[in-house]
Amino acid sequence: MFKDLDPILHSQLRLAVISLLVSVKEAEFTYLKEQTDATSGNLSVQLQKLKEAGYIEIEKKFKDNYPQTICKITPGGINAFEEYVKNIKSYLTKH
Amino acid sequence: MENAENLKPEESLRLIDSMINTAKNKLADDGFHLIFWGWLVFGAAMSHYITIMMNIPYGYAVWPILMPLGGIISGFYGYKQVKKDKVKTYIDVYLGYLWGAFAIGMVLTLVCMPKHGIANTYFFLMILYGIATFVSGGLLNFKPLIIGSLFSFACAGISVFIGESAEQLLIISVALLFSYIIPGHLLRAKYKSQNV
Repeated sequence: MFKDLDPILHSQLRLAVISLLVSVKEAEFTYLKEQTDATSGNLSVQLQKLKEAGYIEIEKKFKDNYPQTICKITPGGINAFEEYVKNIKSYLTKH
Repeated sequence: MENAENLKPEESLRLIDSMINTAKNKLADDGFHLIFWGWLVFGAAMSHYITIMMNIPYGYAVWPILMPLGGIISGFYGYKQVKKDKVKTYIDVYLGYLWGAFAIGMVLTLVCMPKHGIANTYFFLMILYGIATFVSGGLLNFKPLIIGSLFSFACAGISVFIGESAEQLLIISVALLFSYIIPGHLLRAKYKSQNV
């Protein structure tokens, strides 16, 4: 039924993260955590999966002596997201 | 939010829609710079006007004192805000470029003031106010700024017919009131209501 859907994006938390990142230039880890209500551990794991798929870039910096993680969607991530939305829409029009 | 893999297509679309709206509805501006510069320049213009009316010498001195001071305070606030923000939207980036260009245009216009003549400069200042607030209003989807910018353009047009007189200071104060101060306070109220 969902064979055309990208398994990386067809997951609630990863899809939420990509949908947030597609609308902004960049976002901090804490912002993504607040908006998705995810736990830090789960969010870290899912961000890593998105990074390994080449969908996002993760930059680690320091801000006022505290570690800061900044996430940004890549062009590959935007393409994958657009493809995912297209496939979902075509499924809905067929059924 | 957990990592359920058995998402239905309708749920996927709802989730995408809700997350995109979350990011889109974040108001990119708290109105500080509009309120701060609006009142500062309004205050400077009115003080200068009063000193002219009361024949007090060196009334123009408010400008070289208050404007660089305003630049320092505004720059410091902007720097703190950028460090505090957890997310950077494309609107943040576009607003940065717009107001950066505005600041360069403003400094150049003021530096060239002796060459163009003081009375002719007010026209350019108000045109710059109008462009910056019109585009900001469009980017933020905030109508009071767009309407306010039209007052700046109208005041710029009127200033051409006023000539060399202290009344130019009153015209620029009206432009600031409608394009900076009132929209700035309305924008701040909207920003606060979103961040309660």
